Amino acid sequence: MNALEISHLTKDYGTFKLDDVSLTVPGGTIMGLIGENGAGKSTTIKCILDLVRPDAGTIRVFGLDHRKDEKAVKSQIGVVLDESLFHEALTPAQVGKSLRHIYPNWDRRCYEAYLKKFDLPETAPIKSFSRGMKMKLSLATAFAAKPRLLLLDEATAGLDPVVRDEILDEFLEFIQDETHAVLISSHITSDLEKAADYVTYLHHGKVALTGAKDELLDTYGKLICSRSDLDRVDRSLLGGVRVGQFGCEALVKDRRAFARRYPELTVDPITLDEIMVLTEKETVR
Amino acid sequence: MIGLVYKDCVTLKKQLTTLLMFLVVYGALTVTGVFDVSILGVLVAVMGMTIPMSSVALDDAARWDRYAVATPAGRRGVVAGKYVFTALVIAVSSIFAVVVMVGLSLAGLSEQTLMENIVVALSCAAVTLLLNAIILPFLLKYGAEKARVISMTVFVVIFGGALLLENYWDSGMGLPEIPAGLVQALPVLFCSLTVGAFVVSYFISLGIYNRKEF
Repeated sequence: MNALEISHLTKDYGTFKLDDVSLTVPGGTIMGLIGENGAGKSTTIKCILDLVRPDAGTIRVFGLDHRKDEKAVKSQIGVVLDESLFHEALTPAQVGKSLRHIYPNWDRRCYEAYLKKFDLPETAPIKSFSRGMKMKLSLATAFAAKPRLLLLDEATAGLDPVVRDEILDEFLEFIQDETHAVLISSHITSDLEKAADYVTYLHHGKVALTGAKDELLDTYGKLICSRSDLDRVDRSLLGGVRVGQFGCEALVKDRRAFARRYPELTVDPITLDEIMVLTEKETVR
Repeated sequence: MIGLVYKDCVTLKKQLTTLLMFLVVYGALTVTGVFDVSILGVLVAVMGMTIPMSSVALDDAARWDRYAVATPAGRRGVVAGKYVFTALVIAVSSIFAVVVMVGLSLAGLSEQTLMENIVVALSCAAVTLLLNAIILPFLLKYGAEKARVISMTVFVVIFGGALLLENYWDSGMGLPEIPAGLVQALPVLFCSLTVGAFVVSYFISLGIYNRKEF
């Protein structure tokens, strides 16, 4: 069963439009949502959480409509937003006491175990916590809600690599259960390259590409060549192009097809970051 | 919703304690004759007005609503939690004031009768409930900062209007005599009106909050 199905999601703010976004997160997987600032990642997550109302489209979580079955849907979602939204005067213990009345499946022991695991003092006020500690607290609450779907909006931003690695391991452990899934939006594509099974790239409010991460990284490639080589290449095989003083870089949409046609040119493996940067170049061009 | 009310109680623990201490101190001052017992009723109004506003201000500062709406509590739970918390603050402070007033009356330290004191406390509670019924939709729509001005305006209009009416009444000009039966029923009518207004206000706030985006 799919954990999340978004179909033709549209939200028009006037100055920005999330345009006909469709994506699916199967159970037992991690979907990474990438894109530049203002690409629509947070708007997509806000729509799922009913923080903003879409103009069109449907959102189904474990087969349930996100608005008609709001309570049932939200009971199955653990949320970590881009900042800690708990009152600074509260302590983790008080946060737990409050949330256990809000989440029907709240697991007090699980919460306490995560506080211990993340080394968070139960009785210290949140205002004394570092950003990393606050994000860990948010994660502890998300896990203790016993969700089947974790929604994370830039949850690892601003964290050091050690903490990020620790948190990614938690996600990988979480999806060991085939009925669980994670949707994580992040600028840090290296994290997603490590953990995500699927990637959706939002570009200017639209889905620029979506699919299995390994497949995408295997299909796309990076051409590094001279200007004269670039000029003789069929541009329909390329995405964005970056022309520099000492050479050119181009996004190759299908590296195998490209290699068959231009065996003399070398196509290197590409990272998600490079796909994003070169796609942006295509728009600028 | 219980979780949200608990969160409000914990975050405002200091302010709640301070205001309850005020009630105790003013209660003691009424014993010494510095203030009339009715001052406790005014404190009920102060608590009932300031605490819900502070709770919304703290939520705004933490951007808590963005999280709360994403939980199973949803928009309805957030609005209901705020109304229940407000009613709870008014109820607790009124009970506290009534207990002090009854104690003073029974000890013979109040000039007013026991019933008069209870009516004063309940009237203040009813007025506070009415004020919150007007202000809470603004608070939930605009946040504490913007709603503060509206709150002050409502406060001045209601209390200023009441004073003007009283002066007008005392001067004996133009106002018709109220039938005795209606005068007796006024407290009950007023309480029913305020409770009704509070319920209607809840549904207005829910409508406002349902259209809000975070």
